[in-house]
Amino acid sequence: MGDAAAKAEKKQERLEKARAKLEKRLEKLENAGKFKAWRSRRPFWGATFSVLAGLLILYIPIQLYAIAFVPGSFAFIGLLFGVLVLILGVLSYIFPQFSTVLGVITMFLSILSIMGALGGFLLGTILGLIGGALCIGWEEHVIAPDANGPDQMNRPDKGEKAKTNLIDTSEVASSSSSS
Amino acid sequence: METGKPIGRTVKKKFMAALCAGLLALGGMVTVFGMTGTAFALPLGGMGDFYVQFDKLEGSGFQLLPQVGETGDSDASPMVRNKIEEATVYNLHIYKDLKLPTGKWIRINIKGTEPTKIKGLIQDARFIEANLQFNNLGIHEQNTNDYTKNWTQTADTVTITNAKIVTDYLFQTMVNLQGAKISIESIDQPETTESP
Repeated sequence: MGDAAAKAEKKQERLEKARAKLEKRLEKLENAGKFKAWRSRRPFWGATFSVLAGLLILYIPIQLYAIAFVPGSFAFIGLLFGVLVLILGVLSYIFPQFSTVLGVITMFLSILSIMGALGGFLLGTILGLIGGALCIGWEEHVIAPDANGPDQMNRPDKGEKAKTNLIDTSEVASSSSSS
Repeated sequence: METGKPIGRTVKKKFMAALCAGLLALGGMVTVFGMTGTAFALPLGGMGDFYVQFDKLEGSGFQLLPQVGETGDSDASPMVRNKIEEATVYNLHIYKDLKLPTGKWIRINIKGTEPTKIKGLIQDARFIEANLQFNNLGIHEQNTNDYTKNWTQTADTVTITNAKIVTDYLFQTMVNLQGAKISIESIDQPETTESP
């Protein structure tokens, strides 16, 4: 019995900490410029790393432009991978709600780009992996303006839950424990 | 109803799990390539002359085209472009002489101790010294201003022995370099080969 109570207390503490952290960030953002506010609503660094990875992956096929545009050649495939990673990075800026899917595809294509583009001297692949992982790890939370407890913190991309602001302590707990 | 303010954050646990999975997948792929000695779309170029030496090359789908390309000394130098669809090279030795900031010269050697299998070979050569043997050799001329199509030489198969080729650009769609040995040695002077 005592154990369960201690666990619940710890959980509550973690949730409160996570909420306090997010509230602090939100407070800072209220006085920040437009760019910072825009950046906070999307996986900015994940998308930026993905765009950089796409450009690096494209570097080798562009150097081999004489043969890269011949369909079927491996350099052409490298060109395709580079363009796709670049587009996925841009899409992560525009559609943050799909960041997990976009991140997974970015990582997959970055690894495959070793064929045909040498993964942008491997640097493109590594940047693509970091960018993709950042996109996967990114989550959007909604803080109710007059909330008193951690229960008011929720993720808006979960459809009904976000609309009704339901309690989802397991999700909040998992995210707060990792922070 | 007030909806609240959205704010994004990165969940470290998810990020680390995704990154670890990605790095594992990358490691797996590199290991497979490393074990089979296979590299896809390997380009070598933009660094001036380098030397390609081998005892014997057996190739099929040979094509020779005129080419103008960049060398270590000039932006546009006349050369020939060799294209071979599939080739097996015995005792391949690629080397490049480089000058260090200290003024000393070093030579980077890549040697294939076992037969090297190449698919989709494209090579721009400035100077070729070798014994060549062709099967079904054909020379084709075309009245065009495009110098790359003006004159071509094709052969079903080609056998080159005791070759030394001054190369400025090398591209392989797929190369299987079994038993590769990479070494660096210091040399007194770089090798120079002038076209006769």
